[in-house]
Amino acid sequence: MRARVLVAMSGGVDSSVAAALLVEQGYDVIGATMKLFCYGDDVPDRPCCSLDSINDARRVCEGLGIPHYVLNLESAFGRDVIDNFVGEYAAGRTPIPCVRCNTFTKFRDLLHKADAVEAQWIATGHYARTQNGELLRGRDIAKDQSYFLWGIDRAVVRRMVLPVGEMSKPETRARARALGLEVVADKVESQDICFVPDGDHAKVIARRLGSDTPSLARGPVVLMDGTVVGEHDGFARFTIGQRRGVPGGFAEAMYVVAIRPVERAVVIGPRDALLGRGVVAHEMNWLVDPLQIGARVQVQVRHRARATPAEIVRVHDDEIELALDEPVAAITPGQSLVLYDGDRVLGGGFIERGGSAARTALPVIAA
Amino acid sequence: MPQPVYLDHAATTPVRREVVEAMEPFFGPRFGNPSSVHRWGREARAALDEARERVARCLGAKPDEICFTSGGTEADNLAVLGPLRSQQAKGRSAIVSTPIEHKAVLATVHHAVHHGATERMLDVTSDGVVDLSSLDRALDDAVAVCTVMWVNNEVGTIQPVPEIAERVKACGGVMHTDAVQAFGKLDFSLKNVPVDLLTISGHKIGAPKGAGAVFIRRGTKIDPMFHGGSQDRGRRPGTENVAAAVALARAAELAVEERETECARLKALREQLEEGLLSRIPDAVIHGRGAPRASHIVNISVPGTDSESLLMALDLAGVAASSGSACQSGSVTPSHVLSAMGVRPELSVAAVRMSLGALTTPEGIARVVELFPALIAKARRLSGVAG
Repeated sequence: MRARVLVAMSGGVDSSVAAALLVEQGYDVIGATMKLFCYGDDVPDRPCCSLDSINDARRVCEGLGIPHYVLNLESAFGRDVIDNFVGEYAAGRTPIPCVRCNTFTKFRDLLHKADAVEAQWIATGHYARTQNGELLRGRDIAKDQSYFLWGIDRAVVRRMVLPVGEMSKPETRARARALGLEVVADKVESQDICFVPDGDHAKVIARRLGSDTPSLARGPVVLMDGTVVGEHDGFARFTIGQRRGVPGGFAEAMYVVAIRPVERAVVIGPRDALLGRGVVAHEMNWLVDPLQIGARVQVQVRHRARATPAEIVRVHDDEIELALDEPVAAITPGQSLVLYDGDRVLGGGFIERGGSAARTALPVIAA
Repeated sequence: MPQPVYLDHAATTPVRREVVEAMEPFFGPRFGNPSSVHRWGREARAALDEARERVARCLGAKPDEICFTSGGTEADNLAVLGPLRSQQAKGRSAIVSTPIEHKAVLATVHHAVHHGATERMLDVTSDGVVDLSSLDRALDDAVAVCTVMWVNNEVGTIQPVPEIAERVKACGGVMHTDAVQAFGKLDFSLKNVPVDLLTISGHKIGAPKGAGAVFIRRGTKIDPMFHGGSQDRGRRPGTENVAAAVALARAAELAVEERETECARLKALREQLEEGLLSRIPDAVIHGRGAPRASHIVNISVPGTDSESLLMALDLAGVAASSGSACQSGSVTPSHVLSAMGVRPELSVAAVRMSLGALTTPEGIARVVELFPALIAKARRLSGVAG
């Protein structure tokens, strides 16, 4: 019997090509599109808003001659991803919902559906690779999405198939055209978060928490010494390192360097103040045998940021602290800290805070 | 793969050979427009008139009381909004309905409410039957239309439509019933049932999709939905779909002729299915089982499973079933019918509807009686529920 694989199909080019490649490779392929949210709720009896992408995925499956199912994961996604997203903003952090979607929605909830149809394998259109049960960066470093995948259960890596991880985006598009997937080949890639239309995350927060939520209310813009220098219209509209919306009139360019939700304050400072020499993360998840204090790794604190050499200086339960060899700008609470060894993804966590902890300042650990 | 088993007749049925044959001339030499004055027109008109008479006979109605539509949804829209608009002119603007109606009715009611009507929803028992005691509260001289389905499409329960109709008529309201799942299953004549409007749909009884009709009792005033020519006395402008009308007539006749034997056959198969499943899955729940039900629908929930996964697994094993209602995206959404019956969410998300019909055989039922419990056992192992 052919190996059965469930492919998560968004209706985009990457997952469509992934499905087509698996069909070519002789898998017994099942296409599944997750219905994750619907803003038609307040308009009863209206069709669903994510209909277009679902239709595209279905057309691709029809062309490939494989079954296609729509899986309603709205309530779990709302709880695990969207509620967390707005909660993080309300707490003055900058969330990264794609990580939680991968961890909980794709590689847990969808995996349960794969189990239900006896699919040993689960495939997505992510630009990442797997090898011997380990997760690797995508071959195309410009497109690499491993930064979003650190949270999945280590055992699941052995069941993942990532067919486009060996390809570059132009190769994927070319392949889509060669495979006759005209529906999706030239789709414009969206940089938006899927459930945040037009990139306006404040709208989502207002919808979920009410427009009078403190994170969208006026508050002071302050210098690091507490001097009030202006006003903002909601700290949830700010992230660490941001310049837009920051008052001018200073000798040097000013950036958001901290958000203090209790005082609703957005703290600004010069570029130097953004630099951190340490980072603390929680919800640490390992994709290899856990490393110990003193281990040398490379870390990435933002999607598409350059990896920086670092050393693990503290591990406590699911919390980890690293000292960075060189200062890194705009370490942002809520974003991910991902540990690499070259292309290998070692694990990751959510950034709790940056820190100035230079390695030299730390106590020497007895060997 | 073993022979596929189609258990989704409440969704749609295969078009019958006799129906295809009856339609064929109208895709060929008898292509005329029934409104034309010439021979081609007359030939089409004759077929349309005859189809109307035949459908009327099947329902116990008069030919001019039959209005052909594009299907059940259009018929429901016309049957609710049509009389509402003319009743509103007389100061009646309340619609009485139930929370277990098909979306074609529910959404139409919502639409009317959005445009100034009021809705009064009747209570439903945990067995999925309208609670008649809630009717008293709902009926007064503000009621324009009452619309209650005859057989529920998700659980198969039979609603007390004749009793409701009597009481609605007594208070001066217009009574509509969606009989899409009832026609061909229940024995009735509109000579004895005092409804003013009744919906039937062709594709549930072996005619193609796009063929339906609404019975409009003489004297019932309705405003048309469409505006155009004077076809169907202006109630439904637009060149008539002659082939669909002929198809509906043929399928309706066959449904009435075969009703007694076919329903007895389906009832026996349904018992085979229900007993087979309940003996293998003792904690399974069959919704509406305590109420009178039409012979073709089984809606079953097994704790610790979810219908989405079961439907996929069934499909991949060659068995077609459905959950109650599918959203336009094709995703499975929690059933409004089961919610209205007070079914707890963990059972509601597990509901699988199997509906029997022309393609159902004892062998197919036997296969499902083996397969379904095996899939249930697997699903429960995965979800860690004992059983």
